[in-house]
Amino acid sequence: MNKAKSDLLQGTLDMLILKTLALEAAHGWGIAQRIQQVSRDVLQVNQGSLYPALYRLEHQGWIAAEWGTSENNRKAKFYRLTQEGRRQLDAETENWERVSAAIDRILRIAEKTA
Amino acid sequence: MQGLRMTLRSLLSRDRAETEMDQELRFHIEMETEKNVRRGMTPERARTEALRTFGGVEKTKEQCREERGGRWVEQLLQDLHYGARTLRKQPGYAAVVVLILALGIGANTAIFSAVHGILLRPLPYPQEDRLVILRQSAALAGQEDVHVSPMEMADYRARSRVLADLVEHHTMGFTLLDRGEPQRVQTGVVSWSFFDVLGVKPILGRTFRPEDEKPGAEPVLVLSHEYWRSRGSDPRIVGRAMEMNDKTHTVVGVLPPVPRYPAEDEIYMPTTACPFRASEHAATDREMRMLTAFGRLRSGIPLAQARADLAGVFGQLRAEYPEDYPAEQGFDAALLPLREELVREARPKLLILLGTVGLVLLIVCANVANLTLSRLVQRQRELALRSALGAGRGRIARQLLTESALLALAGGAAGLLLALPALRLLTTFAARFTPRAHEIGVDGTVLLFTVGASLLTGLLAGVAPAFSRHDPTAMLKEGGDRGTAGGKSLRMRNALIVFQLAASFMLLIGAGLTLRSLWELEQVNPGFRPERVTAAGVFLDWNRYDSEERSWGVFNALLERIGSHPGVASVAVGTTYPLNDSVPWNNALLIEGRAPVPGEAAAPVDLRLASAEYFSTLGIPVLKGRAFNEGDHADAPPVVIVNRSLVRRFWGDRDPLGQRISLDQGENWRTVVGVVGDVKQYGLDQEVADEIYRPFAQYSSYTGNVLVRSDLPAATVEKLVRDSLRAIDPQQAVHDVRTLEDVRAESLAPSRLTTTLLAIFAVLALVITAAGIAGILAFSVSQRTHEIGIRMALGAVPGDVRFMILRQAAMLVLPGLALGMAGALVLTRVLTSLLFGVEPTDPVTFVAVSLLLLGVAAVACFVPARRATEIHPMVALRSM
Repeated sequence: MNKAKSDLLQGTLDMLILKTLALEAAHGWGIAQRIQQVSRDVLQVNQGSLYPALYRLEHQGWIAAEWGTSENNRKAKFYRLTQEGRRQLDAETENWERVSAAIDRILRIAEKTA
Repeated sequence: MQGLRMTLRSLLSRDRAETEMDQELRFHIEMETEKNVRRGMTPERARTEALRTFGGVEKTKEQCREERGGRWVEQLLQDLHYGARTLRKQPGYAAVVVLILALGIGANTAIFSAVHGILLRPLPYPQEDRLVILRQSAALAGQEDVHVSPMEMADYRARSRVLADLVEHHTMGFTLLDRGEPQRVQTGVVSWSFFDVLGVKPILGRTFRPEDEKPGAEPVLVLSHEYWRSRGSDPRIVGRAMEMNDKTHTVVGVLPPVPRYPAEDEIYMPTTACPFRASEHAATDREMRMLTAFGRLRSGIPLAQARADLAGVFGQLRAEYPEDYPAEQGFDAALLPLREELVREARPKLLILLGTVGLVLLIVCANVANLTLSRLVQRQRELALRSALGAGRGRIARQLLTESALLALAGGAAGLLLALPALRLLTTFAARFTPRAHEIGVDGTVLLFTVGASLLTGLLAGVAPAFSRHDPTAMLKEGGDRGTAGGKSLRMRNALIVFQLAASFMLLIGAGLTLRSLWELEQVNPGFRPERVTAAGVFLDWNRYDSEERSWGVFNALLERIGSHPGVASVAVGTTYPLNDSVPWNNALLIEGRAPVPGEAAAPVDLRLASAEYFSTLGIPVLKGRAFNEGDHADAPPVVIVNRSLVRRFWGDRDPLGQRISLDQGENWRTVVGVVGDVKQYGLDQEVADEIYRPFAQYSSYTGNVLVRSDLPAATVEKLVRDSLRAIDPQQAVHDVRTLEDVRAESLAPSRLTTTLLAIFAVLALVITAAGIAGILAFSVSQRTHEIGIRMALGAVPGDVRFMILRQAAMLVLPGLALGMAGALVLTRVLTSLLFGVEPTDPVTFVAVSLLLLGVAAVACFVPARRATEIHPMVALRSM
């Protein structure tokens, strides 16, 4: 694979945001940094989709927002996971594992026959 | 819950939400900038880089707003505001669209208010779904309604177990003396509980009580609302005495305004007050069928069960009195829901009109969609700009739909204003088919319909433009003001025009067929000459004139007086005259020396009375033998004159003169002395009946119609008849004075009104469509200015250019015509019930309508085609 950085699959961004927030509350920029770091720069979060996603998740009640002070003493909007959000994350994680395991199996079969 | 709270919050504190979003995004960019600085960039570079990685800030904001919830309300307000501003900036376009929409929605509102008032709304009676009509028919004798006799009424009342009550009604004309001029009033003769069964409560006084219908009861009257109003709406009218039939009647009550069914009765009396109904004859003759029977079903009894019960009762009657229910006439009795019966005639016409205006509205939608698509091309720059500023495709589509809905609502409001004056015309129209016509009006439901129709129209007209392809980036890149019209958009617009043409064609065919049918009706030979003849009804007080000598005495004196006037060419009297809405008065016919053939002898013939000059006054030709004359008086041998149709049926080619017939089962025999021509008695579109005329002098009749042929004005003739009658007996009334030409015109009025309405809608559709064709061609010419300029520069002559435009028009018109023709061949079948003497696939109409549509399309092409030829090649090319 030549391309070191991968665009996020549609729909997986929501799950990654929820997972990130499950560890600790964070502001938008923080979430983007965290995803990038943890994925070792493989996953690039496009800000153009990050913020709409945050608003969407908040509207659905999976995350909640409040204003707080950032690490460099600035006013920032922090997001945290709600109870509902946690349940949603569990559901999405389970689904993801099922699907990726299935894809994995298919890819392995393909190798053997080749 | 959270979502709702957020929606509310973002709606209520929009400014705060905006500020917070702003702060949040700014914070992000600052953090990114700091990170870049830490990596060693200069502050300026760091900031630029941060902004670059972020992408379009405004676009992101817009997307965040989308996700925030409650957004749609906010956007709707924004769209409305923006839409109103856009439309204000193009008043011409807005005015045209609103006008077209107003016509379409107005037509639909008007017709819907009629459909709602007549077909959909329940009758203004409590529990109206329990009300039924008990109708006896003789299908094999061609009679849908033979009415019910008083004896049968009594039997049905006593034997039916499913009816809570059964009441009767029949209409009589009586002469009423109320402080002055004798006046003929149409009187409903009803059972005492008639109004209770219908659930009508009086607004003054009371309705009838059981004691009013006891033999020997004091005569009482209930007035209809309309009659009470015509007498000055006197609030103290209850208790007033009125003279009728030589008896004093007391007014006991006034009805509210309810549909006057089954007849437009002015006043009502109980059965015992009617001399005819209370006679001994009525009580003993089972075949004296003259009543209409109304019932209220017992609660909880379904109609099917009630019908089964009635069939049982009728079976009993038929078994007990077989001679009164001849099997060969196909006698039967049925229960019919009152509401269905009231609107039976009006329903198909209203539904056809509803279909027509629905089609008109679709044409309007297509037309407005086309206009909007044309606007859209001119608005490409604006839309591209909005798109670049972060408006998504959905957002722009919503904006366009909002504008379209805004226009449609304005059109709906204007349409409502157009519909209101049309309601009166519709009421006049519907009154010919149903007593419910006066219930037409605009109420909440109609308003709701108008709003709904407007929004639906807006949606239909807006959906094509909203989702048409427009490529914003291409637009900005070219930077030109002439965007590519887009093949897809043009195809869509052409399809819309083809649809409009096809729909217009169908509407024109509908109007054309009814027009041709009307023309056919006008051509029908009625069998008499209505010119210069005036008819005046005379109704004698039948208590005073109860014998042949007495009634004929009055009529004879009347004929002499009128005939002596120098301006009168001839005068006659008959029981009725042609096209006079008369009810057939028929008997079974027996021919001497011929055994009754089953089925044939029982089939009834129409009976009429006629005086000596009846046939010459009406211009009915005497084909054989003679007309009546002075010699056919009461004491002379009884004679009859028959019409040609009857001769053909009973004698074929043989000579009927001198033959004898009986109308009373062989008791009296009458000699045939003449044969006259057939007359359309019941309508120009009706079959000719078999008729027998008897001399007026040989039968007692207290009612007659005086017919005067004269060059005098109708008003003079009316005065002459009134004065003559007053000189003979000042207490007798003249009623319904009409010229026979009016009567003939009146008989055509329903067809004429239907045709007029269909024609109005068809012309409306045609005009809108023609404007649409002209519009799309003009637009196409303006889009193709360069191309035409090049062609002309390369040597094309104006003829070539014109041909090119016309060919383009033909590509629209011909498929539209073909499609319309196919549709019309299928759809016009629903018109069959309205047509007379014309097939729904009448080739003449199809050809004529095709030519008309082609002609109008050619005119519509003319202006754009000429404009195309006037394009100056140099100007066109230079503007490139």
